[in-house]
Amino acid sequence: MNYLKHMLSFTAVIFGVLLLTFLLIHAVPGDPVEVMLGESASMADRQALRADLGLNQPLIKQFGHYLTSLSQGDFGRSIHTKTPIVDLIKARYPATLKLAFLSLIIGLSIGIPLGIYAALNAGHWQDLIVTLVSVRLSAMPAFWLGPILMLVFALWLGWFPVSGMDSGTSIVLPALTLGFGLSAILTRMTRTSLLEVLNDDYIRTARAKGLSEPEVIVRHALRAALLPIITIVGLQMGSLLAGTVITETIFSWDGIGRLLVESIEKRDYPVTQACVLVVALSYVLVNLFTDILYRLADPRVRAS
Amino acid sequence: MKKFAISILVFWVLAVIVGKLFHLDPNQIDLNSILAPINTDYWLGTDDLGRDILARVLAGIQVSFFVAIIVTLITMVIGVLIGLFAGFYGGKVDAILMKITDIFLAFPGILLAIAFAAVLGAGLSNLILALCITGWVSYARLTRGQTLSLRNRQHVIAAESLGASVPRILIKHILPLLGSILMVEATYSLASVMIAEASLSFLGLGIQVPNASWGAMLRDGVRYMLVAPHYVLVVGLSLMSLILAVNLGGDCLRDKLDVRSEK
Repeated sequence: MNYLKHMLSFTAVIFGVLLLTFLLIHAVPGDPVEVMLGESASMADRQALRADLGLNQPLIKQFGHYLTSLSQGDFGRSIHTKTPIVDLIKARYPATLKLAFLSLIIGLSIGIPLGIYAALNAGHWQDLIVTLVSVRLSAMPAFWLGPILMLVFALWLGWFPVSGMDSGTSIVLPALTLGFGLSAILTRMTRTSLLEVLNDDYIRTARAKGLSEPEVIVRHALRAALLPIITIVGLQMGSLLAGTVITETIFSWDGIGRLLVESIEKRDYPVTQACVLVVALSYVLVNLFTDILYRLADPRVRAS
Repeated sequence: MKKFAISILVFWVLAVIVGKLFHLDPNQIDLNSILAPINTDYWLGTDDLGRDILARVLAGIQVSFFVAIIVTLITMVIGVLIGLFAGFYGGKVDAILMKITDIFLAFPGILLAIAFAAVLGAGLSNLILALCITGWVSYARLTRGQTLSLRNRQHVIAAESLGASVPRILIKHILPLLGSILMVEATYSLASVMIAEASLSFLGLGIQVPNASWGAMLRDGVRYMLVAPHYVLVVGLSLMSLILAVNLGGDCLRDKLDVRSEK
């Protein structure tokens, strides 16, 4: 029953996301067709686009049409290149996934060990330095961290390409840009959550029965401390996905974020709409997955 | 930490005042010194049109603060109203309002603001509108949660049984208790609106040329990074110092007001 309720709420959110993305094009002030085509467009072109987008139909009918075409995998066509949008997304989406995945790995492999280190040395200078650096880093948005990494590692040291995606190492700097921000938040979260657990009775018991310190930390403390971390990772995937828009623009990484920015510059709103929808749906799915993972990891939730 | 945060803020206020006293013009073009490095004429160098980066940084901070304050105020009022109603009435009203916030939260980060700013068209007022459309959600959630727990406090029940009207209960008996937690939230939101404003301007969706904004300056800085690395560094450092100061200010405020927050 609980599960059913959960799925129902999930479906409602998906429906809301579809509705809001659909309404996006109607938020264009004035006539969307004129804004997209420019004032010099011919009457025939305008009529054609208006009919193509279905803008001359009632709103409800338009939304129904939007939903049915989406369910058939039809995102419409780009206004400028006339290519089906689904092809554009298919071409760009894997690059974004690759970038997001690598950033996640970087974030986890820096954040969790550092958080453990800080928690074990809580109150000492090591903890202070880690906390200070992670506060600094988490306040660094992609459009500031990205250029710094580019300046130091691409222009001055020449270790990685400045931008583009021609070489195998092109992904390193954009992934570090996104990964660092994530690692800073994970460090703080791991530290706090581990510190809370470390004072619990069962940890004292584990120590009292003579387990070695690494065993106490990894087998007993970390397992319990990981739960809030799973939630945070799920939530942070949101800013990671949104962050790809800026990061991909800085590093000319041809993912869906850059497609979004390009479509905005060309006023190709159907493409903008599709990009927003795809990124939002990815985020909703990631959160659903996080939720399932959380249930699997937490015996208390599993039992209820 | 507190002194650090305050000194950064005081520094920027003084800088803006001094800039006004010396009549620094952020839009004065000097084609003889394009992308000049830091020198005695231009303390922070010049940009790609030979405009004084110092003057533009000082103009940018005013835009940044203006947008942050306006957006924070508007989103707070909208969010608090929605949260109060949802938390006070509960039931269906609550369920519907919270479902709407769920839908807004399903869009990651500033994606929805980017989308709205894109279709609304560039410009300061559209930028503010886009940030307001998407920014009220966190206040609504926070207020709703608090109201839900305050709703059954004895003084609220007492007021209700004495026949106080709903607006009176909400404003006189519930809202004052939310004051400190909302103030802390607003401080953090100032910082995040600044980042959002810079992000949108970075993508070309904010304030239009020739007016200065930190996001747009960062974008130009990245473009000319090879020849004038000081440009992007100066603007980035300014933005970071300000965001750090505001966030630290939020931390101090939280500790002082003893607000238990999830952040």
